[in-house]
Amino acid sequence: MLEIKDLHVEVEGEGIEILKGVNLTINKGEIHAIMGPNGSGKSTLAKVVAGHPEYEVTKGDIIYNGESILELDPDERSHAGLFLAFQYPVEVPGVTNNTLLRESYNTIAASRGREELDPLEFDDYIREKLDLVEMNPDFLERSVNTGFSGGEKKRNEIFQMAVLEPALALLDETDSGLDIDALRIVADGINKLHHEDNSVVLITHYQRLLNYIVPDHVHVMIGGKVVKSGGKELALELEEKGYDWLESLATVNGEAK
Amino acid sequence: MAQSTRIEPSILHKLAKHLPENGSDRWAAIRQKSMQQLNSTQFPHKKIEEWRFTDLRPIRRTEFSHINDAGTYKASDIEKYFIPESDRSRLVFINGRYNETYSSIGGLGKGVTVGNLSAFSDDEYVKKYLNNLVNYEDDVFTHYNGLMFEDGVYIHLEEGAKAEAPIQVLNLYTGSEKPFIANPRMLVVAEEDADVTIIEDHIGLADNTYMTIPVCEVKVKQRAHIHHVRIQRDSENAFHVSRPIAYVEKNSEYHSYTITLGAKLSRNEPRVVQEDEEVDFTLDGLVLIDGEQVADTHSVMDHRFSHAESHQLHKVVVNGKAHSIFNGKIFVQRDAQKIDSFQENRNLLLSIDGLVNTKPQLEIFADDVLCSHGATVGQLDPEEVFYLQSRGMTEEKAKEVLTYAFALETIENVKVESVHKLLIDEVYRYTKANSKPKVTA
Repeated sequence: MLEIKDLHVEVEGEGIEILKGVNLTINKGEIHAIMGPNGSGKSTLAKVVAGHPEYEVTKGDIIYNGESILELDPDERSHAGLFLAFQYPVEVPGVTNNTLLRESYNTIAASRGREELDPLEFDDYIREKLDLVEMNPDFLERSVNTGFSGGEKKRNEIFQMAVLEPALALLDETDSGLDIDALRIVADGINKLHHEDNSVVLITHYQRLLNYIVPDHVHVMIGGKVVKSGGKELALELEEKGYDWLESLATVNGEAK
Repeated sequence: MAQSTRIEPSILHKLAKHLPENGSDRWAAIRQKSMQQLNSTQFPHKKIEEWRFTDLRPIRRTEFSHINDAGTYKASDIEKYFIPESDRSRLVFINGRYNETYSSIGGLGKGVTVGNLSAFSDDEYVKKYLNNLVNYEDDVFTHYNGLMFEDGVYIHLEEGAKAEAPIQVLNLYTGSEKPFIANPRMLVVAEEDADVTIIEDHIGLADNTYMTIPVCEVKVKQRAHIHHVRIQRDSENAFHVSRPIAYVEKNSEYHSYTITLGAKLSRNEPRVVQEDEEVDFTLDGLVLIDGEQVADTHSVMDHRFSHAESHQLHKVVVNGKAHSIFNGKIFVQRDAQKIDSFQENRNLLLSIDGLVNTKPQLEIFADDVLCSHGATVGQLDPEEVFYLQSRGMTEEKAKEVLTYAFALETIENVKVESVHKLLIDEVYRYTKANSKPKVTA
């Protein structure tokens, strides 16, 4: 479904390389977890896959469903079924959740050949999804993320994922800033949304999310590279040993990490 | 102050020699005083601090005619601007002259007097207040209006009177060939406990050059409430110079919302003067400009007594080579304690060639006050654009949505439904036209 090949990325115009040759393959129906210390490039990887204009791909490719998506705008990637849950969801005062989601849903539906929903049909559809993340219907009429607590913002991201039904969801530190109850609600929501035809990539610092969502594969990023991949037991090993024992893998042939 | 230096005659001074042809003598005293003031006042220029960012040469160079005929227009051109709420509370002025055919009054209930000022020249309140509330010293435009106006809006509410419908004041300007000057005039007196909503709209019916100089005097007596919406949709080649001033008495409220969309050059100088304790007033503004438009707001909120709450949110969106100027003066006089005043000017620049000058100006002489102020100038946040794009919106649509959301906050408080809706439509039309890069032919 998604194949990242030797991906090198710089911040546009600054010449500082952040990703230094990432390789990653995600198949349909899989859950992957990407872990790693701060500044290792995890969030950058997620944003680059979603098409953030701040980053420039200098080498390598991102293949999605057999085709390179490097030339696609973020909205075109979203139409193709990609979804990024933001680490820091943006507040959009003046635009209600309902308006944003109906606009998004219908734009994506139109481009994927699904039927568009009128406001009444959409209302029925969206209310089912609210239950999934245990959100109050009042949320629909509030401006997107405006005045939301950190936990509400993260739940809102998963709610959007539920409504838009992406084929591949990248969840960037969706677990950070959540208390234990909110973490359980968010994790349950993700589990319910995951099925054999979609894939989920969890970006996280902590093993605790993986107590609720069991990944098929775990990858460790350090210094802009995936330095180790393994099964779910790798997460437990990291919890125990930290990242230090992997640091040396980030330098290859004397090249700075 | 009149200087001994010679007054260089401007176009206004020259035109002053042609008093209105049908010029009645009902306003003789006001005309005489205004003529003296005009003859001792210099036309403003950029060396004067209050005018340093605003180039008035386009006005100075226009050959305005002293003739102001109504030109041609169709009934449908006018009727489409009628709001349903004001079916029987509407005053229509064409190029500053009252039009009885399209006006409709009588639906306002007991104790409310509404009509053309020139029919009320002997009214005791008109005699008492007209031209006595206006306080724009050294201002040729105000003096010119005082010299030349004939018709105008008169609204008087008796003690305890509540207007049953909003009053719509439609100022229409027609597509005359020769540039003309219109002098709309307005006097509003709300006695104790009275309540009224006024929708003042200025609309250019064509794209011709003209200048309008609306002068508006408002008196809000004890416990009275006034909700005043001012919409400026003048022709793209018009000049709009407005002077609305309100005096607020004890326990009264005056809330004003000005929406600036039109005119090549506009200069709006709203002022509120506190006359006693315990008042609440608002001077909000929304400016949406494009092309080579210049929109200038110089406001004054003058706190003279204790216990006032005042609010000013001035939001501006600039595209193309447009230029916005904001100078918001807040005075808190020495005896005015316990003042809670809020001022914020937020500017959104959509283009690299747009220009914003902003100057909050607080002069506080009391020591127990709460005055917050802020001014920001920025572009659309790329993170916000990316966020909406990642949810499927095109870049163009994302920018449109964000601009719309930025602008909408200022019109939320307009409580007349059809006007609220028409303003949403105007904002939508602006954001839709300005979210994509301009295609040059």
